[in-house]
Amino acid sequence: MATASRSVPGPAAFQRRGRVRPGDAILYFVTLLAALTAVVLLALIAREVLADAWPAMKAYGLGFLTATDWDPNKKLFGAGTFIFGTAVTSLGALLLAAPISIAIALFMTELAPGWIRAIIGPLVEMLAAVPSVVLGLWGILVLGPFIVSTLGPAIHGSLGWIPIFGTEPNVGSSMFAAILILTIMMVPIISSICRELFLGVPQELKEGALALGATRWEVVRGVVFPYARAGIAAALILGLGRGLGEAIAVTQVIGNNVAMPTSLFEPGDTLASRIASQYQGADYAIQVSSLVYLAVILLVFSLAVNVLAQIIVRRVAGRHRVS
Amino acid sequence: MKSLDTRKTRVGAAVCGLLIAVSAVAAVIMASGAQARSGAGELKGAGATFPAPLIAVWQQQYESAKGVKVSYNAIGSGGGIAAITNKTVDFGASDAPLSPDQFARCNGCVQLPWVLSATSVMYNLPGLPNNLRITGQVIADIYLGKITKWNDRRITRLNPGKSFPDKEITPVYRSDSSGTSFNFTSYLNTASKQWKSQVGNGTTVNWPKGVGARGSSGVSGVLSRTEGAIGYADIAYALKNHLKFFSVKNRAGNFARPGLVGIKAASLADRKFSSTNALSIVNPPPGKKFRKAYPICTYSYVLLRTTSPNAAELKPFITWALTSGQQYGPRLIFQPIPKYVVAKGKATLKRVHS
Repeated sequence: MATASRSVPGPAAFQRRGRVRPGDAILYFVTLLAALTAVVLLALIAREVLADAWPAMKAYGLGFLTATDWDPNKKLFGAGTFIFGTAVTSLGALLLAAPISIAIALFMTELAPGWIRAIIGPLVEMLAAVPSVVLGLWGILVLGPFIVSTLGPAIHGSLGWIPIFGTEPNVGSSMFAAILILTIMMVPIISSICRELFLGVPQELKEGALALGATRWEVVRGVVFPYARAGIAAALILGLGRGLGEAIAVTQVIGNNVAMPTSLFEPGDTLASRIASQYQGADYAIQVSSLVYLAVILLVFSLAVNVLAQIIVRRVAGRHRVS
Repeated sequence: MKSLDTRKTRVGAAVCGLLIAVSAVAAVIMASGAQARSGAGELKGAGATFPAPLIAVWQQQYESAKGVKVSYNAIGSGGGIAAITNKTVDFGASDAPLSPDQFARCNGCVQLPWVLSATSVMYNLPGLPNNLRITGQVIADIYLGKITKWNDRRITRLNPGKSFPDKEITPVYRSDSSGTSFNFTSYLNTASKQWKSQVGNGTTVNWPKGVGARGSSGVSGVLSRTEGAIGYADIAYALKNHLKFFSVKNRAGNFARPGLVGIKAASLADRKFSSTNALSIVNPPPGKKFRKAYPICTYSYVLLRTTSPNAAELKPFITWALTSGQQYGPRLIFQPIPKYVVAKGKATLKRVHS
């Protein structure tokens, strides 16, 4: 409370020079109202979700997290495969998106001539504006068949000895397709944040390094990356958050299978995808409740990722300031 | 003077902001209050994709005949049930009759069959002709993962003279809550004991094998781009998208196509309504009457609230759909519903009031 009173201008602030300033007072209360609305809304959502999930939480307990059944007719529900699918697709996509995005950002800030920058920048950002349902449709009609006919056999042929590529893809809908779709969604977010970060690196530092005879790569490695470290970490986690929560595009391409996949070329499912596909019109009350239980897990996941981001940013930023 | 001016603008801006905020809140409140009360002369509906082609014709015909506009959002049976439960529409549509839990959630709802058609079992096998033959037992074994290749003897012996490829079979199913899935799995329940005990029927079931896709469009999207795939959708959808579909063996021993003749024969199967107005006509018994019956047929249901603010416009429309509206069906492979179903619908409609 003490820290809050320091940063918030109390009503006393409106009485400078002995006069009440109605404009400031109104602005204060309007913005306060907006801020409170956000808090109240979040609390209401959390309450509602927990209340709806309660029957399933009571029936299945924590065993729900590891159970791998999803059989409405036998009333057996578990989140195991969906947690696994969410983790694999999000982390897999992040693994692909991180180097691509950072490379794009580097190219646009450090290497590309101005006119190329002016073309590529908006194009990358336009990628973020593609509605996810359209991206999902593209996944079914174009990406899926391409994986089956070309990409899949090539990867399976050369890397088939690694278990995650151990099966031949028969159908385009798979964990692998979901990873590629999520990568496409993550790239614009991560790369545009990284670009801003790299632009924020003081010119003097870079020029100093160049004056000492550093190559461009040495400038990037020695000056740009260390300076932007905290921001890059935060950007990656924002991208991860995008992957965890994406529902529609994933549900269109992942194949929605409850069995634990043994290879990336097999269908699977994620938490968000399962909620999106089955919440409407579920046959049984306990099925609805179990789906909301999945939402609770997803909420906790997202919260954990956000907290993790805060911790990383603080720690890295702190270390940076010291050095 | 200048400081006074800026202060004025500031106050003005703040008041403006406040007004905008208040009016936005008011708009939201009014919109939520007016949910199903769309203006007189307009009816809102949402639900199954299955009856959507016929409803599209009804919209035009009914508006030009009676001057009442009908809107319909084909968002799937699950979406239709959710919409009528949340009172955001005047009528919902579902291919599967509501489950007891769904009736409980949709407090004060009734359902009545209003459309009759068939679910086709489609396949993607380039080089092979349309209307290959199959049995319910074989379809069940494919979806159970017991038959995995197209050149399996259990398939080839039904289709003498056709050469099947040594190709993996990819079963495709609906991942969303779907009345078509309900119809399909209800049929497999009657065709295979193992299916009944292991999987069962429902709008969402635990599919032992294959890939899921969202909506009929998703199923046909995956199917048409996956060689060796098998899937299911309403017959109107299969025809419109030029997809090949099976002739399925009925219990009288004949292979029937999902056409008007097959649907009409199947509709004679169940004349006893359940307490919630549901009829099941999958896999009719053997018998001369059902010689031509296609075994995977279903009624699709319209969902109404007994207390409906637009009852004055809604009831005439539903009555029209049950009677005059049926004449537009056959062109789209919807068999006009039998008289006793019309009578039941009219009787149920009497319970709806404003």
